Amino acid sequence: MPKPDQMMSEFLPGTLAMLILRVLSRGPLHGYAIAKRVRERSHEALDIEDGSLYPALNRLLVRGWLKAEWGISENNRKARFYQLTPAGRAQLEVESHEFDRLVNAIQLVMKTA
Amino acid sequence: MRELWNRLRHFRRRAEFNTELGEEIRCHLEMRADELEAEGLPRKEALLRAKREFGPAARVQEDSRSAWQFQWIEDLAGDLRYAYRAFRHSPGFAAAAIFSLALGTGANTTVFTLTDQLLVNRPSASHPENIVTMRIGGSSHAEMREYRMMRDAGVFDGVAGMHEESEVNWRTAGETRRLRIIHVTDNFFDVTGTPVMLGRGIATGETNTVVLHYAFWKANFGGDPSIVGRTMVLDGRPLTVVGVLPEKHHTLVGFGFAPELYAATTDEGERVKLVVRLPQGVTAAEALERLKAVCARIDKVYPPEGSPRARYTSVEAVTGTAWLTGRKAMPFVAFFGLLMIVATLVLLVACANVASLHLARAVSRRQELSVRLALGAGRGRIVRQLLAESLLLAGIGTLVGVALTMLLTKLLDGTPLPLPIPVRLSLTTDWQLFGYALMVAAGAALVSGVMPALAVTRMNPGGGLKAEERSVGGGWWSLRNVVVATQLAVTSVLLVTGFLFLRNLSQSSSMSPGFDADHTIWTTMRLVPERYDTPETRIAITERALETVRQQPGIESAALAEVIPLNDSRSIGTRMITDLNAQGQEIHAYMNVVTPDYFRTIGIPLLEGRDFNDRDVKGSGVVILNEKMAKSLFGARSAVGHTIRWKMENSNSTLSVVGVVKSSKYSTLGEDEAAAMYEPYRQSSRYGTTLHMLARTGLETGAVSRELRGTLLQVDDTAAVESRPMKTALAFAFLPSRVGAALLGSMGGLGLLLASLGLYGVLAYAVSRRVREIGLRMALGASPGNVLSMVLRQSFALIAAGAGTGLLIALIVTQPLTMFLVPGLSPNDAVSYIAVALLLAMVGAVASSGPALRAVRIDPATALRHD
Repeated sequence: MPKPDQMMSEFLPGTLAMLILRVLSRGPLHGYAIAKRVRERSHEALDIEDGSLYPALNRLLVRGWLKAEWGISENNRKARFYQLTPAGRAQLEVESHEFDRLVNAIQLVMKTA
Repeated sequence: MRELWNRLRHFRRRAEFNTELGEEIRCHLEMRADELEAEGLPRKEALLRAKREFGPAARVQEDSRSAWQFQWIEDLAGDLRYAYRAFRHSPGFAAAAIFSLALGTGANTTVFTLTDQLLVNRPSASHPENIVTMRIGGSSHAEMREYRMMRDAGVFDGVAGMHEESEVNWRTAGETRRLRIIHVTDNFFDVTGTPVMLGRGIATGETNTVVLHYAFWKANFGGDPSIVGRTMVLDGRPLTVVGVLPEKHHTLVGFGFAPELYAATTDEGERVKLVVRLPQGVTAAEALERLKAVCARIDKVYPPEGSPRARYTSVEAVTGTAWLTGRKAMPFVAFFGLLMIVATLVLLVACANVASLHLARAVSRRQELSVRLALGAGRGRIVRQLLAESLLLAGIGTLVGVALTMLLTKLLDGTPLPLPIPVRLSLTTDWQLFGYALMVAAGAALVSGVMPALAVTRMNPGGGLKAEERSVGGGWWSLRNVVVATQLAVTSVLLVTGFLFLRNLSQSSSMSPGFDADHTIWTTMRLVPERYDTPETRIAITERALETVRQQPGIESAALAEVIPLNDSRSIGTRMITDLNAQGQEIHAYMNVVTPDYFRTIGIPLLEGRDFNDRDVKGSGVVILNEKMAKSLFGARSAVGHTIRWKMENSNSTLSVVGVVKSSKYSTLGEDEAAAMYEPYRQSSRYGTTLHMLARTGLETGAVSRELRGTLLQVDDTAAVESRPMKTALAFAFLPSRVGAALLGSMGGLGLLLASLGLYGVLAYAVSRRVREIGLRMALGASPGNVLSMVLRQSFALIAAGAGTGLLIALIVTQPLTMFLVPGLSPNDAVSYIAVALLLAMVGAVASSGPALRAVRIDPATALRHD
């Protein structure tokens, strides 16, 4: 059975990036916390595979939507914290808007067709 | 944009990135382990589980890294690595391909360097784009008094003069050496801003200073810097060395012209080329207008001998495109253009060699490629892989080629060419060459790689997997045959061109101007007009000068001529009426006015009739025709005794032919046989103040010509006397065709070598592919003779098709070469075509019979198993 994030990216490409941006819009987090936050907020329905998280984070860094800084985690470990850049925030706007439109459209079809 | 910047920054700190990512992953695992530990697992267990959950860390790292990298560069690197391994398995193939490409690109970049250095004139001067040379009154060199008026006219930013082909005697350590120098006016260095490496340039007001060329300084003074301030005795005058030019000094003349030193001119009789610095922003057209105005002023002070000076004026650039498109550089542009085309053809043949090698190799790599296709590699992926291979080959080939070029230019750099005029190549390899080489390499990779790559990937993977495709011969239009035929065609074009130039080379070394330049001396005596202002005095001095030359020991004969052939010419185009043809006939003829003994002196044989003699005076009405003119006017009949007449402005006299001489060259070495006629000096009474004397000697012409100058100065020491062996004077006329023949001939030879190799390779390969088929035929009872004749017949059919097409194309495309070929050699030269056809047949026979012989000699059973 495919992992949830594979499902997501297969059916809704780019959702992983959108989720990461959304989770970070509340403030900087390190990688482990990002995955945990997504899992918690989706009530364990979405589980970002560790193997996809870091490549995805790096893709966002390349685009300039995130920046990363080393800091100390809540349990006193050295960790790399990711933070939204203004460009990333704008991108989040665009993506969530697009996502809403898409979901609405799908729902419309599912309910009326 | 930002993304690109981010990626580039990443590239700089990728080592750091890797450790950071590793750190981050470790941190991730520990946090997970902390959590698991909190759930009650032992620490060790927790860490293991975290790792298991995380999956392969290496892959995460790889994927994260790839987010930052330029994908195609990584892919290319991979492809190149693979290509390198593939070449290690077939070093013979790689060596052959690299050798071909190295020769092709080496030839190309060498020609590029030569063209760049010889054709693109970059004179050593400040802002050379503002410097022009000017002609007034139609002569390339102005008189000193004209120069002074120009200089003082104040309409230009500076006017200097130079005489580029002067010579002086240098007295050193008890012997006298002849030096080639540029005589310049005292302001020359100021006007041109010519940079000096050591000391300074000649300064205004100086008449006794010299500046040395770098190579001359190195060779004669060992590069001793204390030379500045020392004295050299030139032509008996002590001159002070004030400076040394830098190593890479380019004269305003261009073409690698490099005399030994610059000296201030002192001779009032010397004529100088006007070197003018235009005010910023003044165009050539405006400059010409100003020049004409100055000419009018000069005419008022010094009335012109003929037409006003302003009638024949010109302004010529010394650098840039204006110089290239100028009259002087045009033949050189055409020549180097042709050279570039031929070099590109050579490269094309090299590429064709490599392409067919690729193709041959790809066919034997079918199995490997089929496996890759079958395993799911896209066609694009395979094409990319094959292209990477060609790129690698082209890259290495070009590197080797450029290395060859650099070696060659290193050898040629600064070497004086063995010519009677001082020419020194000053070659530098710079970024332009590398840019060009890069372009050549990319082009070569594309040309040699794309076609085979596409062709190979078109095949069916299933067929390739089944061991070897058991094809027999293939159709007539099989790709292989088409490739071979195409290459044969290109090869024939190149071969014909190469052969034409090789023939040109051998013919031009024996090329004759139609007269004897080896034993003749040309002396010019320019008299001061004020001293000889009546015809009588001019006749007297002319006769006296000629007699003096005749009396000179070692002189066999001497004569005067109005124009010296191949240096200057006079001609008329008119309707010529003869006593046999009152209708007349349009004729274009060169004219010269000569004294008795002219023909003996210059070595033109008298075919019939008599030479002029002292009784041919004004009113005698005699003329000597050349063979060509005699034939066109009188046909097979003897011209001697007949008369000719043509309409002229003032005279309408009838001239009777007293002799016929052999045709020679008049204006250029390359001209077709032209009509010419000679009138006796006394009859035409064209006594001016410039005397051109020719003298014949059996002794060494250089020494005699210097003695002659001294003797004539004793006749009139106010006259400017120049004396040089005819051979030296003609050097310029011979130079282009000789250098051209040498360069293009060697290029043709190179093409010949490459094309033969390629042809051999392709044919040998084509036959070797058929070993199994041959074995089958022999097993079925064919005799070795049968097989051999079959293979040869098919090879020859292929050669005939390819070469036939190629020769036909060559017949068309070589037509413009006429202008570079010596007279008597036409682009349709049968010898060249037959030689090329024979050569192709020979290479073809050797190439196909070798493998065929091997095939018929082996046991049919083995041949059948051969792959």
